[in-house]
Amino acid sequence: MTLSILIWLPLVVAVLCVIWGDRAAPRLALVGALATLAVAISFVVRFDAGHGMQFVTDRSWISALGVHYSLGLDGLNVVLVLLTTVIFAGATLMANLRADWERPAQFYMWLLAGETFVLGAFCAQDLILFVAFFDLMLIPFYFLTGIWGAGERPERVRATTKLVIYTLVGSLLMLAAAVATGVLTAQQHDADLTFSLAALARAPLSTGSQEWIFLCFAAAFLVKMPAFPLHGWLPDGYRTMPLPALSAFSGVVSKVAAYGFLRIVLPVFPDASVHFQELLLLIAVASILYGSAMAFSTTNARLVVGFSSVAQMGFITLGIFALNQDGVQGALLQMINHGLVTLPLFFIVGLLAARAGGSEDLRDMGGIAFRAPVLASLFLIVGLATLAMPGSANFVGEFLILLGVFKAKVVFAFVASVGVALASVYVLRAFIRAMHNRVGPSVESREVTFGDLAVLAPMVLAILALALYPQFGLKRSEAAAKAAVTPALVAANGGVTAGLDVPPGWTAYAPIGKGAR
Amino acid sequence: MSVLVLAVAHAKAPHIDYAGLSPFLALTAGAILTLLVGLARGRWVRHATPLLAIATLGVAIGLGVWQFGETTSLISGALLADDLTWTLLFAFAAAGIGATLLAWRSHAAQEASPGEFFSLLLFSVLGMAILVAATNLVTLFLGFELLSIPLYVLCATELRRERSLESGLKYLIVGSVGSATLVYGLALIYGATGSTDYAGIDKAITAGDGVGGDVLLLSGIGLTLVGLAFKASVAPFHQWTPDVYEGAPTPVTAFMAVATKAAALGVLLRLFDSALVGAQLDWAPMLAALAAITIVVGNVGALGQTSLKRMLAYSGVAQAGYLLAGVIVASQLGAKATVFYLVVYLAMNLAAFAVVVARERVEGETDDLASFAGLGRTQPALAWPLTIAMLALAGVPATAGFIGKVFLIEALVEGDYAWLAIVLVIGSMISLGYYLRVVATMWMREAPTPAASGIPVIAGGSQEADAAARPQPEVLAVAWIAAAATIVLGIVPQPLFDLAADAGQALTGIF
Amino acid sequence: MSTTTWAWLVLLFPLLGATINGLGYRRLGRVGAGIVGTASIGLAFLCAVGALFSLQGHDAEHRALVSSLWDYAVTGDVDAKLSILVDPLSVYMMLVVTGISTLIHLYSVSYMKGDRGYARYFSYLNFFVFSMLVLVLGGNFLMLIVGWAFVGAASYLLISFWYRRGTATAAGIKAFVINVVGDVGLVLGTFFVLRHSGTLDFLGTFRAVHGGAFDSHNGALVAGCLLILVGAFAKSAQIPLHTWLPDAMEGPTPVSSLIHAATMVTAGVYLIARLHPLFEAAPAAADTAAVIGCLTLLIAGTIALTQTDIKRVIAYSTMSQIGYMIMAVGAGGYVAGLFHLMTHAFFKALLFMAAGSIIGAMAGAQSLDRMSGFRKAMPFTFGCFVVGGLALSGVPPFSGFFSKDEILAFVGNRGGWFVAPYVVGYIGAFLTAVYTWRMIFRAFWGEPCAEARELEHGHLAHAEVPTNPANGEEEDTDVGFPGPEHTIAEWALPMKVAMTLLAIGATVAGLVQIPEVDHVITNFLEPTFADSKYIHDEAGSGLVFFGMALGTVVALLGIALAHRIWVAKPGSAAAWRERFKPAYTLFVNKWWFDEAIDLLVVRPFAAFGTFSRRTFERVVVEGTLVDGTTSVVRAGSAAVRAIQTGLLRYYAALLLLGGAAVLLYFLISAS
Repeated sequence: MTLSILIWLPLVVAVLCVIWGDRAAPRLALVGALATLAVAISFVVRFDAGHGMQFVTDRSWISALGVHYSLGLDGLNVVLVLLTTVIFAGATLMANLRADWERPAQFYMWLLAGETFVLGAFCAQDLILFVAFFDLMLIPFYFLTGIWGAGERPERVRATTKLVIYTLVGSLLMLAAAVATGVLTAQQHDADLTFSLAALARAPLSTGSQEWIFLCFAAAFLVKMPAFPLHGWLPDGYRTMPLPALSAFSGVVSKVAAYGFLRIVLPVFPDASVHFQELLLLIAVASILYGSAMAFSTTNARLVVGFSSVAQMGFITLGIFALNQDGVQGALLQMINHGLVTLPLFFIVGLLAARAGGSEDLRDMGGIAFRAPVLASLFLIVGLATLAMPGSANFVGEFLILLGVFKAKVVFAFVASVGVALASVYVLRAFIRAMHNRVGPSVESREVTFGDLAVLAPMVLAILALALYPQFGLKRSEAAAKAAVTPALVAANGGVTAGLDVPPGWTAYAPIGKGAR
Repeated sequence: MSVLVLAVAHAKAPHIDYAGLSPFLALTAGAILTLLVGLARGRWVRHATPLLAIATLGVAIGLGVWQFGETTSLISGALLADDLTWTLLFAFAAAGIGATLLAWRSHAAQEASPGEFFSLLLFSVLGMAILVAATNLVTLFLGFELLSIPLYVLCATELRRERSLESGLKYLIVGSVGSATLVYGLALIYGATGSTDYAGIDKAITAGDGVGGDVLLLSGIGLTLVGLAFKASVAPFHQWTPDVYEGAPTPVTAFMAVATKAAALGVLLRLFDSALVGAQLDWAPMLAALAAITIVVGNVGALGQTSLKRMLAYSGVAQAGYLLAGVIVASQLGAKATVFYLVVYLAMNLAAFAVVVARERVEGETDDLASFAGLGRTQPALAWPLTIAMLALAGVPATAGFIGKVFLIEALVEGDYAWLAIVLVIGSMISLGYYLRVVATMWMREAPTPAASGIPVIAGGSQEADAAARPQPEVLAVAWIAAAATIVLGIVPQPLFDLAADAGQALTGIF
Repeated sequence: MSTTTWAWLVLLFPLLGATINGLGYRRLGRVGAGIVGTASIGLAFLCAVGALFSLQGHDAEHRALVSSLWDYAVTGDVDAKLSILVDPLSVYMMLVVTGISTLIHLYSVSYMKGDRGYARYFSYLNFFVFSMLVLVLGGNFLMLIVGWAFVGAASYLLISFWYRRGTATAAGIKAFVINVVGDVGLVLGTFFVLRHSGTLDFLGTFRAVHGGAFDSHNGALVAGCLLILVGAFAKSAQIPLHTWLPDAMEGPTPVSSLIHAATMVTAGVYLIARLHPLFEAAPAAADTAAVIGCLTLLIAGTIALTQTDIKRVIAYSTMSQIGYMIMAVGAGGYVAGLFHLMTHAFFKALLFMAAGSIIGAMAGAQSLDRMSGFRKAMPFTFGCFVVGGLALSGVPPFSGFFSKDEILAFVGNRGGWFVAPYVVGYIGAFLTAVYTWRMIFRAFWGEPCAEARELEHGHLAHAEVPTNPANGEEEDTDVGFPGPEHTIAEWALPMKVAMTLLAIGATVAGLVQIPEVDHVITNFLEPTFADSKYIHDEAGSGLVFFGMALGTVVALLGIALAHRIWVAKPGSAAAWRERFKPAYTLFVNKWWFDEAIDLLVVRPFAAFGTFSRRTFERVVVEGTLVDGTTSVVRAGSAAVRAIQTGLLRYYAALLLLGGAAVLLYFLISAS
């Protein structure tokens, strides 16, 4: 069974949804999403942490351009693929709970199409293929937001257009940069034109070319995450996007960007990564602080979650650009954790709004807990995981990230750790404002239904399971993470491979200004 | 036409390769035949002539396929029948067929009698074929005029609509200025190199003590460039485009948008990358500058447009800028990329214009964006092709537009024009603004109630009736075939690549 | 059964209890929940005893046993297994925690009877015990941090247990955030240690320290230890991170008794004792701990003098007592500190329980101003309160006397600048006696207040309109509200039993460690602290007996003073207030710590948040980055449309210009 099955299965189901029409679509889509999940699990089970790239598919797609249709799983993406299928299954289930989508067939078509493209982006091992999937990812969400989004039509259209243009702007720069990477590599090493990531990583570009290309990639990824100050599309986009789409978007699509840094930027542009390390760390820290500040000052429940994920993505970026194994490991784990908490959080926001007279404003909520202890406790568990309370896998993630940065640039570690405290502020603030205190004006509290539990319980169980055994993610990604950072470490070491071993990147406290060591 | 015959008669070299010439002859014959049939009375004519036209174009394509791979110099180096010629001929013919189908039941074809209409179309195609096949400045100009004059007329064929007449007139005036500039430029080149035939010019330029950098030559090149820039609607010589496109009958607009641009780019490719390739270092920067301006002006101009035809006109300007990229770098890769993108561009635009035509037939003479609102709900059969076309033009992956852009960018980077590549992508960023606007209108806006949209409703008068009023099958066919081609070529582009490769090989001067 | 198995069982039962109570809150009614909650902790206590005996079975060198379940986070330099460390110290803590908890659960069975969140309460309380045990059993830094944060969460849940009260939820988030600050400090400190020790495992770290891993990096070690102290101070309410503890009194009284007096807040003491090899290698950090502890005990004592909320008085007294412990362990007197930890657990829990009983009698009111003359009405409560009071103020032969005296003797014995803390310690002792007995005299002596008189006639006061004692606002009565009816010890057997046992403990617990007589605790903890350089410096008997005498005198003086002010000459308090006006203002405003923190930390961040949302987001992100770029493009398109007049002459003009430009370029490039 090849990866192609995994990737294209959702799209096939999507087409079937349209063919079989509105009546069958919801259930069919759900079955499709679950089937994809099953396939993904089978891959994870058969995945062998010892070996490198596995389940490789590699066919020439456009020989004239040296573009290949090549897929593969390794430590970097295997768990993320699993996460994607989980999240989309959850999103489809969420959508199933709401019966009143207009033109459901099309809705589910776009949702599943989105899953295919995200999976494609995660599995792609060819630069152009990755870029193609990366851009394609956006189209379904464009339609999902524009057609089924919340709010008045004009605002909705404006929001979705803003979302797509803003994020595609980055992607198009990346397209140019990607092509340039292939062509320039071929020129500088006078080799045949190829976009295979492995090959590109073997033949690094000259530092000069690396640097402008790096900036293009960084722009694309930072916008998609989003990172401060490139998050301009977030507020409107998040406010309008329908919740199932939103939880998928914020859950996995943003991760593709972070993953892109690991899969492409670090291995292929090591020198540039070192050169711009501090810039990226700065952006990351800014995202953490700014996202937290917004999260604890806004009163719209969706935006609290939205900006909290800006902060979380900041942590992930921080870990990646620690440019050492601990940081990258932490970042990878944190991607999974954040994906797992985002979906339930958005779902809960929906439930809260349903109990607060349809308003998503925290000021209209309050005291919802008293007839809904189950909802309250689930919210609490997810919330505590979000603020990375020790004992959750999120904490292990942040621990590794901070450790990585502590090794690389100790100052950033200290500043970033402020974000940890702020996280507890905005999460508990939202929890208390919604669940506790006096009962809000138009609140009528009621317990979650079994349908709701069908969405929430599995996610919460997943969170708890990972909390008990974060090693699940860590041991699979260890080798790949090491491989991903080694080029950057070598570059940081002034091109010397020696002295990188025990323990990697760990020689002296590097204050700001010195290279990453 | 007769001119050509004359030229053939007086040619010193008696040998004429009729096999190579056959497609041209077929087109000529078909055109004349159509004209004659058109004189006949009876309703059958309005169906016979378009069929005849399609048949002619089909035959032309067939003969082209038969001749494909041969490289024969026709009529003592007046024309060169090689794969580039044939490939572009296929494009012209395809565009012609598409336009014919769209025009089949149009007011235009009926008002100016169908015979004239379609034969003019065929003559124009013939002109394009000659233009790109020309390896001699004289034949080049010949083809140029033969392509333009019929179009002037075609633009004005909707006699009762003054916008149509206006556009015809505008096109005529601006076009003749362009022709004048062109012929002046050609004369200067001849003066500088002492030869009207490409090979000769090339030799003269590249020769050790050649005329490279000679004032006469360069000003000639400049004027030629301007002349051709008109046809390709390259900024700042694009201004006629929106007005003419908007005014002209939509089928004609479609034909102009795709075929004329293809022809202009084809001849630029042929002339600059073979005859003038020696002076590449002189003209490439200028061309690059023009391309950059074109990309920016086209995309920025398209943003605010409410008329879909005007918007497509501007987007056409922008696309011309992209296409120039392949010419500038004067490399095999560049030539291939241009040819590839030309074909893709043809498909994308035909799909879009077909939908516009279909809407006009229902909504009356309007291509206002508002009249597309809610199309996704009322008529998905029309909404999908347009959506695909728009996304493809925007360069979204899984469409041929994406591959084409990748190809062009690759050519640019390889030719050390990375900055132009960046301009290109910035252009496409801006273009998202208006392409997505169309998509949003179709899928995300409510269909207006007829009362609300104050445009005369031909069929029905209520939404249901409009939905019921099915677009003509041939129009729908064009839309869907073109859209399908866009997607298929986006996923399996290899065949088109091979075609483009053969075409590129024909330009032996570049590597 | 092996020692570690016993320990795992100790962890298991509370977790089971929490889970059962949490999931089955509908099924098992009040009785069930109470039984499950108490029984699970009781079993844990028995297992702890089992662990004790099986540990004593090993010979002294092998009393540090590690047991791991599975790899928790093992990658790169991080080697965290899910492991526990069982040694005398952790067993000692286990015994204290489970023992006290059992009694407090028992007490709660009756005390919380009126509350509608009964099952929720017990599941939280069990969860807390579980977390506390994780904290004391954790075998590596990561496990410690996990337990550390879990107790913080449990404390949050229980502080805002009555979540209808805005005051309660505010106090909860305050406590949680300050504790997270502590966690962060702990984490960063761990990084410094990990960097040079290369392992997170406790025993491994200690080996590395003795192996000289830090000899060349002592700066790093000091930095690490100081950051770890931040964690300790946040948890143990040492200045300046103490402000959450008084507010934490919003929680139900048994919670204050268990978490915010007996167990959780002493975690800092445990932490320093556990990491003593690090602190002894970084004396600067250790001394900091001693100094902060010393300051805290003094400042808290002064504040306690002026508070009128009975629970807050006890809370500040807790701060002060923990100050003693921190000072002790900072100075190296681990055994003394832990000894005081144990005795304090007894008498402070007892005091809170008694206070709870009075509050019950007062129908929820907590202000000393309203209480008086309960002596006759509540003899049992009065008895317990007096016992607790005597122990707290260090009157022989009550437990507090011995433990506090051992601390001071040890500190005094260190000599040098430690004389200062030694003196401060006795001042603190004096203050302790005063504020403790102020409380007792005001509550039990004098004219019986209305509630007291009602109680003498055999019925319990009952507020017709329940109000929040903190801010007097009317209660919103539903789940998350204390419930209208209250309970007092006199009328509830479980409370009686729990308090009696604690009272006995508070009385005799000191006898296990009498200078020159017996050293049970020293001997028991010896294996853990064998590597300490202070383990053998015993205070000379002269100093010890002087200290004992001094302590007794100071305590009695304090009591006498309190009696003079609040009994002998009622109303003279006001005169004192006048005489020491500045001091009084300082104390009654709690040295303005809250205000300072609010000004220096909270406000700036709040301002940052508002600025981001109101200004930056609008102006820069929306205004410039998004709208700015788009408006530029729009302007361009407007320009293009402007020149698109539709008039040929303009076109001709432009095209001539264009053509000219092109031509010009070529002419230039030609020449």
